[in-house]
Amino acid sequence: MNESSDAMVRIIDVHKRFGRNEVLKGVSFDVARGEVVVILGPSGSGKSTLLRLISHLDAIDKGHIYVDGHRVGYEERDGRLRPLGDSAASRSRADVGMVFQRFNLFPHLDALANVNTAPVHVKGISKKRAVERGTELLKLVGLGDKLHAYPAQLSGGQQQRVAIARALAMEPKVMLFDEATSALDPELVGEVLEVMKLLARQGMTMIVVTHEMGFAREVADRVMLVDGGIIVESNTPAEFFDHPQNERTRSFLSKIL
Amino acid sequence: MIDALHLPLLDFDLGVVREYLFKDIIVRGALRTLWISVLAQAIGVALGILAAVSRNLRIPVASWIASLYVWFFRGTPLLLQLFFWFFVVPQNVPGDFGLGPFQFRHDWFLFSPFQAALIGLAVNEGAYMAEIVRAGIESIESGQMDASKALGMTNLQAMRLVILPQAVRVVVPPTGNEFISMLKNSSLASVISYNELLFVTKGEYTRNLKVIELVTVAGMWYLFFTSVFSVLQAELEARLRPEQERGGLLAILGRAINPPGDWHGATGDRR
Repeated sequence: MNESSDAMVRIIDVHKRFGRNEVLKGVSFDVARGEVVVILGPSGSGKSTLLRLISHLDAIDKGHIYVDGHRVGYEERDGRLRPLGDSAASRSRADVGMVFQRFNLFPHLDALANVNTAPVHVKGISKKRAVERGTELLKLVGLGDKLHAYPAQLSGGQQQRVAIARALAMEPKVMLFDEATSALDPELVGEVLEVMKLLARQGMTMIVVTHEMGFAREVADRVMLVDGGIIVESNTPAEFFDHPQNERTRSFLSKIL
Repeated sequence: MIDALHLPLLDFDLGVVREYLFKDIIVRGALRTLWISVLAQAIGVALGILAAVSRNLRIPVASWIASLYVWFFRGTPLLLQLFFWFFVVPQNVPGDFGLGPFQFRHDWFLFSPFQAALIGLAVNEGAYMAEIVRAGIESIESGQMDASKALGMTNLQAMRLVILPQAVRVVVPPTGNEFISMLKNSSLASVISYNELLFVTKGEYTRNLKVIELVTVAGMWYLFFTSVFSVLQAELEARLRPEQERGGLLAILGRAINPPGDWHGATGDRR
């Protein structure tokens, strides 16, 4: 059941449809340990869906996804895939950190409690240890002075940084960013990108769906264009932006650059 | 006495009202009304949460039972349900029986008027609370569940730690209304001879025939209870008002008046 590979994330021929709309039509790629992959694409191209499948927030119709050699949310038994029960699926999900466009902080909890709740209740670490670790993480994202602020008392950029700290608190093997800066006022985008760059420098494996071309060019090891439910082009940032091979990539880049 | 102009209302004797308003037997009845209402409402809230969570998470079997429960107890009159628990159940449990791993004894089902009334009111209330809690759960945006699951929480952990604490704000106002209804509906327990306020009132006026005065006394007690709880409800809702934690213009104004660090007046680490 383990797929032995150096890849941290393996995505093999993944399909997903919602009703009649086939959102992903066979997507395959690997993400190496410590690699930062940026996924670009027009809206509705299936980028966010792909991230939701990797974190098993939605079920895969066909294909396989492995994180560090393990399936997320499924087990293979007698050659057939079976969805895991609620608690086993939840455990397997904890390896995948996810940061959402709309932050999705818990509004009834302060910043530290947002970060601490899952480590205490899911990982079962002591409250004292969780507070220490949560405080460290909030300091890491530059919010050491906002430990007891509630989400409504924080700016969008601050909220998203709390959300990143919250995901990191589960010590995920890979971090997924789903348009993490798209809901932010322009002047707040930079502070979130800085934290993401910091994580990339520290060797975190990251899959980043974004519209921030500067970030893609500067931080990504690889840039991909997803359009029409398939990967149109995948290359190093320099090649992708300066010598796009595919006509659709050229047309996409001409619209946004 | 010449009573050519004798209208029933002129028979009203304020003295009798004064005599009975705080009379021991009436006060005890009123307190029983309060007590059974509080108990039944509390059990009803618990049943409602169970049913709503079972249905929302589509827990096999439990969600099916929950749907059946809500359908049945919202679809039949409360008075009929009280008859059911008091008259029908005790007479139709023929002997001791086992249900799976559980053993039931016949005499457990010989409900006293209090037990039958409590079960009847609570089980009926649970069906209504299930709908109220369901609306509360559904009012929470789906991103909260996504975020909880992405952090590795199980469905039940997400409910307990994230969804239900936020749903409280939506659930409290209708629950307050339910409790006020409960205070009044508990009077139906008088027909299965539970000696709450209306039952003791009837007992007194059957003896002294001071019907209007005693009904007035009972009415005053009901109004007193419902008024007190209306005020408490308004106070509770004010404390749960969302501006502080939601963002937007009201939050900004709220923060200007009440600087960050506190959340509805609670200080320090709330966890």
